[in-house]
Amino acid sequence: MIKTPHDLQTYRKDLKGALRNQFLGKTLDTFATAYPTSRANAFAGIDFDTLACEIAKGKDESIPKLESLLEEFTAHAREAGAVVHFARTAFEANSIIASIAGENGVKKIVKGKSMTAEETFLNAHLEREGYEVTETDLGEWIIQLRGEGPSHMVLPAIHLSRKDVADLFTKVTGEPRDPDDINGMVKVARRELRRKFIEADMGISGANFAIASSGTIGLVTNEGNGRLVTTMPRVHVALVGVDKLVPNLRSALRILTALPRNATGQVISTYVTWITGATECKTADNGRKQMHIVFLDNGRLALSKDPLFSQALRCIRCGACANVCPIYKLVGGHNYGHVYIGAIGLVMTYFYHGRENARAIVKNCLNCQSCRKVCPAGIDLPGLIKEVHGTILKVEGKKPIRNVLLQKVLPNRRLFHSLLRQARIAQKPVADGGFIRHLPMLFSGNHGFRRLPAIARVPLRDMWDRINPRVDNPKYRVALFGGCLVDFVYPEQAAALLRIARKRAVQFEYPLGQTCCGLPAQMMGEKQTARAVAVQNLSALDPADFDYIVTLCASCGSHLKENYSRLLKGEGALAVKVAQLEAKVIDFSSFATRVLGVAPEEFQRAGQKVAYHAPCHLCRGMGVSREPRELLDTAGLQYVRSGDEEVCCGFGGSFSIDFPEISAELLRRKLDNAEATGAGVLVTDCPGCVLQLRGGMERRGGRMQVKHIAEVVAEQRKS
Amino acid sequence: MEQPQSLVLMKQRAEAVQTVVSEVRNMREAFDYCVELAKKEGLQSIAAPGLGKNASALGTICKKNGLNFLTKNLREHIGRIGTGFTVANWGIAETATLVIDSGSEDLRIATMLGEIHVAALPRSRIVADAAALEEELTRMMKTTPSYLSFISGASRTADIERVLTIGVHGPQQLHMLIMEEELL
Repeated sequence: MIKTPHDLQTYRKDLKGALRNQFLGKTLDTFATAYPTSRANAFAGIDFDTLACEIAKGKDESIPKLESLLEEFTAHAREAGAVVHFARTAFEANSIIASIAGENGVKKIVKGKSMTAEETFLNAHLEREGYEVTETDLGEWIIQLRGEGPSHMVLPAIHLSRKDVADLFTKVTGEPRDPDDINGMVKVARRELRRKFIEADMGISGANFAIASSGTIGLVTNEGNGRLVTTMPRVHVALVGVDKLVPNLRSALRILTALPRNATGQVISTYVTWITGATECKTADNGRKQMHIVFLDNGRLALSKDPLFSQALRCIRCGACANVCPIYKLVGGHNYGHVYIGAIGLVMTYFYHGRENARAIVKNCLNCQSCRKVCPAGIDLPGLIKEVHGTILKVEGKKPIRNVLLQKVLPNRRLFHSLLRQARIAQKPVADGGFIRHLPMLFSGNHGFRRLPAIARVPLRDMWDRINPRVDNPKYRVALFGGCLVDFVYPEQAAALLRIARKRAVQFEYPLGQTCCGLPAQMMGEKQTARAVAVQNLSALDPADFDYIVTLCASCGSHLKENYSRLLKGEGALAVKVAQLEAKVIDFSSFATRVLGVAPEEFQRAGQKVAYHAPCHLCRGMGVSREPRELLDTAGLQYVRSGDEEVCCGFGGSFSIDFPEISAELLRRKLDNAEATGAGVLVTDCPGCVLQLRGGMERRGGRMQVKHIAEVVAEQRKS
Repeated sequence: MEQPQSLVLMKQRAEAVQTVVSEVRNMREAFDYCVELAKKEGLQSIAAPGLGKNASALGTICKKNGLNFLTKNLREHIGRIGTGFTVANWGIAETATLVIDSGSEDLRIATMLGEIHVAALPRSRIVADAAALEEELTRMMKTTPSYLSFISGASRTADIERVLTIGVHGPQQLHMLIMEEELL
């Protein structure tokens, strides 16, 4: 049975256990390394982003009219001899299927792979009613025999080694099995399950598509068990979530273009089967199969009516959000979801399997945007995860102390900043131990995997006038959005920016009314607080006053550019201001290369070798990946590519406080990759990443320096 | 005619999913291929439901070569089906897919429970991608009841340690015979 921890402590214990599982770590790592290449090959010649947009658009057109699509489907399917049922809940679906079995004198049931049947715990229900149920997808059969749930939506037994399977098959067949003879083990399944197909009275399948215009269901499988489940027994029941309804074949084919490519890197799965109505079956009474289609609501129609969460129903169950998730890669699906796993699983668990099961796992997101980038239906997965997280905090009314304090302190800039200043004097927790440790996330004592930086002696705002000369007749005016880390911890990064721009007739400003961008609040599920500081920053930085708004922090930049419009949606003139702000926000590297137009002549040649870490919020959040590498080259540095350069460093703001073990492991891998390049400096363009990487490098006593790209570029300037 | 280009793509994509592609002139050559293959693999029978008037020709060749020839009630022969032989309705080059109208139960059993599946595909029936067949497929789906199969390669799994293994439930080999002539 599936047991998902209901509290963070138990969850962390499970995670630690998973991190110690060497087989899991190795196998998921190999998968994560192989997947991007096979996926890219499968998509050769296809523009993924365009396809994802089309799928999202198609789904968004269908989702509001699922009920009418269901009617249309039902009419056509009935005409073709199928019986269509509608189940409001999981229990209803299971009961309907059990009574179909009962009415038809069924004893033995074979099943094709269906996540929807996993969702309703159909097997357990049917077994309680006395039916013999056999999963026929090899991976599903293996986990059924072990009494486990799937650990991946497409590869349900990926957490098991060949030895685990050999031991299991030895037990099942009573003959010893050689773990290295995988082909032999597959043949065991072929032999054992073929008998089951022949004996079964009823076959249960899921469906990847339900085509309304013809009443057709579509099944995508590789093994061929889907065809056998729907051919051999005299009764066929398809359990289908209403979200699988599509208007026509064209929509289904569009999804089929993406599904296998994104799931397993195949251009198509081996068998795609389209069934309309009661087809020929010679063992059935009238020579035609008893064909039943059970549509499952289980909360989907409620979701379909929500302006935000309806997008979750776009999911085509490819499992790619797990494939690319740096956390999934470390801990596997049994620790990253309930029934549905991966990023979509964190969201679906709340709606299909309840708050208790979602409570702990929903916190386990770095907001690194990898899943969002790979989603073939363009679902804003990290955004939805945060929404669920925030909702759970709100309804449970048991907020962690740091949320309560943040809610009180962050909207009051003066208070917030004076606390940061006091923290400098004390350099230890003040007021409340929990507060200072968590709020700026800089003072945590029990996170020994990295050293934490001290608060700067003079914050940027106090030195600004001194380091930022006034310019006569400037060509353009630029506001710097500092963010907490640049302002109070790393003001030298801002100073580097000013040095690079010197003598270019650019007037910089640092509006003092600016405060924290609000992303930490959003990450902690505090949307109201995030909104409050967004308004403050918008008042401090009126986009009409500046030509550009530069950030040295990718997290602040992507938050300003993307989330402000959501936080202030529908708020009249403010919403317009946000749109104007978005148009002017630019990251440092893009600003240096495209606006300042820095040129090789300004820099010394033959600079040292540098490695680069691409911040999540820059390469995915802001979509900037060429400019920083170009800038390193222009500045005369020798950039060497390192492994997993675009994988998260494990900081994730407050994430590293809730899940220090995961943060530490991601950091370890990141630093190993960087050191393997042999470069002397690890460069990145986000002060949050600098904090994590530099802290980790110091803790391990590594020889590499960690620097913000503005610093290394400034150092390369000819004096 | 975009045939040559589609044909090249078809062959290339088929290779990637371990489908064995051969070119034959006509049904007669397809039958010979099928029988030779069965003999080479040591199989005892060929199941070919739905061949219509071509059936007797294949039946004769089978008899000459000592192979059982099965055309109906295949449920009774499960476990004794060597090669399943079918004629595909369409071929999709982009994904090396055979589109086979599988309304007949016997045809489904022949293509799923044989050790080898051999499908003849008239060259003129190859299209570039699935979208090109949208209207045709919709029409087939609306001629109910309907069971339509896309088959792209032999049955496969990667469920044990992601090691690609061929032949889980369905045929262990898929042979695509691209035929110069139309069906008679």
